[in-house]
Amino acid sequence: MSIEWKAEEHTVNGVKTQVLSAGKGEPLMFWHGAGTGGGWDFLAPLTEKFKVYLPYHPGWGGSADETSMTTTQDFVMHYLELLDLMKLGKVDLVGFSMGGWFASTFATQHSERLKKLVLVAPAGLRVKEHPTLDLFKIKPEEIAPYLAENLAALGPPPDPTDIDFIVNAYREQTSLARIAWERIYDSKLPKYLHRITVPTLFVWGKQDRIIPEAQSATWTKLVKGSKLQTFSPAGHLVLNEKPEAVKAIGEFLAA
Amino acid sequence: MATWQDDLQFYTFHFMHYTDLPADQKKYDSLWVDFSNKNFDAKKGHALYQRYMAEMVLADRLGYDGLALNEHHNTVYSLNPVVTIMAAALIPQTKNAKICVFGVPLNLEMPNRLAEAYAMLDVMSNGRLEIALPLGTGMEYWANSINPAVARARFREGLEVLLQAWTQDGPTSYDGEFYSYRYLNPWPKPMQKPHPKIAIVGTGSPETIQIAAEHGYAYSSVFVPIVAQEKTFAKLREEMPKYGHEFTPDKAIFNAIVYVAETDEIAERECKEHVQFFFEDATRTTARYLSPPGYISAEQLRMRAAATASHGGFDWEALTQQWRVVFGTPEKVANTLGKWCESANSSRVLVHHHIGDMPHWKVVKNMTLFAEEVIPRLRTRKKAAAAPAPTLQGAK
Repeated sequence: MSIEWKAEEHTVNGVKTQVLSAGKGEPLMFWHGAGTGGGWDFLAPLTEKFKVYLPYHPGWGGSADETSMTTTQDFVMHYLELLDLMKLGKVDLVGFSMGGWFASTFATQHSERLKKLVLVAPAGLRVKEHPTLDLFKIKPEEIAPYLAENLAALGPPPDPTDIDFIVNAYREQTSLARIAWERIYDSKLPKYLHRITVPTLFVWGKQDRIIPEAQSATWTKLVKGSKLQTFSPAGHLVLNEKPEAVKAIGEFLAA
Repeated sequence: MATWQDDLQFYTFHFMHYTDLPADQKKYDSLWVDFSNKNFDAKKGHALYQRYMAEMVLADRLGYDGLALNEHHNTVYSLNPVVTIMAAALIPQTKNAKICVFGVPLNLEMPNRLAEAYAMLDVMSNGRLEIALPLGTGMEYWANSINPAVARARFREGLEVLLQAWTQDGPTSYDGEFYSYRYLNPWPKPMQKPHPKIAIVGTGSPETIQIAAEHGYAYSSVFVPIVAQEKTFAKLREEMPKYGHEFTPDKAIFNAIVYVAETDEIAERECKEHVQFFFEDATRTTARYLSPPGYISAEQLRMRAAATASHGGFDWEALTQQWRVVFGTPEKVANTLGKWCESANSSRVLVHHHIGDMPHWKVVKNMTLFAEEVIPRLRTRKKAAAAPAPTLQGAK
C-alpha cells in the first residue's frame, strides 16, 4: 500500500527541513536511518491510527545540507526546535538505526516531550562483542545483502551506474560522515540511558547484519522497564521485511 | 613583469614507488588503502630506498634546482609515508638543490609539529627547504583517522596555525574549532624568513586554487593533463590580484612526465612500459577511495562520476595527445616544454624522470640527458617577446 504524503517545509534555526505527513490521529514521529533510498510505504499501517510525521534529517532526502551538524546533540536540538515550531506537545517517537541513535539521545534529555519511544535496531552503543558493521567499508552498490534477509521486500535494486543514485548515496554518506566517520556510537550514551523515563520498545530483526540483534541485551538492561520484540527471519530493515513488526509498534503505542 | 625565462628552474620529482608487486596484483581494484602490506618485502624496500636516494643525489650533482618528494599512505605508490624523513636523509648527501617537500598533507599532522619538522629541515639544510601543502588525496583519509567531511575546514585552520607559528614570535595562543594552543612556540624557527616558500598542491579544485590565490602562493597541479594545468594557472593569475598578490612565473609549477633519448622511437620504446605501470598499477584505485564521503561536494562528485577515471587507466594515445607524457629527442622535449612555459608564463618545471617501475639506468640516462641537453636549450630559447608565444589550443 502506498502512502499519500503531504510535504511541508520548516526552517529550523536556519535549516530548511522537509517534513512528510500522512494519516490521522495522535502525532507520531518517525526518524529515519542513514539511507533514504527505499521509500516509506512500510509505515502505512501506522497512518491508520496515527498522524505520522516523517522529517528528513538535515543532509538527507528533501532537507537541506547543514555542515555544522556534526554531533547527535545537533540533531537533538534540531528536533526540539522542530517540535516547538510544529506546536507538537508530546509525541510518540519511533527511531530507526541512526534515527534510533538520535531518538535515544533525545529521550535521555527530553523524555517530557515523549509519550512512548520505539527504537528499531538503533545505532549508538558500542557493544564490543557484537560490533556495529562499519557502513563506510561497504560499497553503496553492494549494501543490499547486508540490509535484509528477504531482498524481495526491498523492491527492485538500484542501478549502481545511475549517476543520481551515486550522487545521492554520496550526499547521505557525507552527512553520516560528519557525525559518525570516526565512530558510529557515543561512548557516554550508556551512562545516561537510565534517564529515559517513557515506556520503551525495542524492535529488531534476528538476522540483522548491520547492528546485531545481540546488542539488544545491553539496551534493554540500560533502559529500565523496556521491552524487546524480535522478528525472524529479518535483517536490519525489519520494518520493510516484516509487516507484523510495524503492527507490533502500532499496538505498543496504542496500548 | 617578470617572464618565465628570468628565473627558470627545474625540479625533479621522485614518487619512490614500491615496484615489486606480486604476480597476481592485477586482480586488486586498488593498490592503495587496502592492498595488504604483507606484500611489502623490507629487503627490497631497503634496496629501493638506497637506489632512489642515489638518484636524487645524482640530480643534485647534475645541477637540478630542486629535488621534490611527496607523501602517501597505505600504498605501493609511495615509500615515503613520512616524507620529512626522506628529506632529512637527502640533506647531508646533497649540496645545492632545494629540498622540496611537496609535501605532508597538513591535516595528517598537528600543525605545530609540522612547523617544527619543516623548520628543522630548513635549518639543517641552511635554508634549502621549499614546501607544498596538499589536502591529501581521498585515499589518505581512508588510511588515517581524520574525517574527510571536514577536511577542507580543518586544512584552513591548520594553515592558520602553521603561519602563526612562523610569522609571530612565540609564545602565542590559538583557539580554533580543530586546534587549540595554549603556548604556540615551536623551536626551532625556519632559516628562511619568515618561512620557506610555500606552494599549494592539488588537482585544480576551486577550493585549493582559492587558497593559493588568497595567500599569493605557488600552485602545482598533479594528476591532470597539461591543458587542465594551464586552466588552473590562468585562474590563479586572475584571482591572485584580487587579494593583493602579484602573480609571478615562479607561482605556476608545471608538472610533466618526461623521457629523453637519442631518437623519438628509442624514447617511446624505453619509457612506454613504465608509463603504463604508472597509470595502470601505481595509481590504480577505486572511485570510492578517491572520494571518501565529504571529501568533495556532491556536485563535484557528479562531475567526477561523469568524467573518465583519472586513476588506473592506461591509454597511450590519449596520454601522449594530452601531453601527460613528453618523450623524444632533447630538441622535441625542449620545444614542447618551452611552449608550455611561454604560454602559461611559468618558470617552474617539475619533471618526473623516474617513471613507474623504470630501472636505474634509464632514470640516470633520462635525468642526465635532460640536464645536459634539454635545460640548456630552454635557457637559451628565444624570449617570448621575440617570437609570438604559441598557445595550447593545439594540444587536446
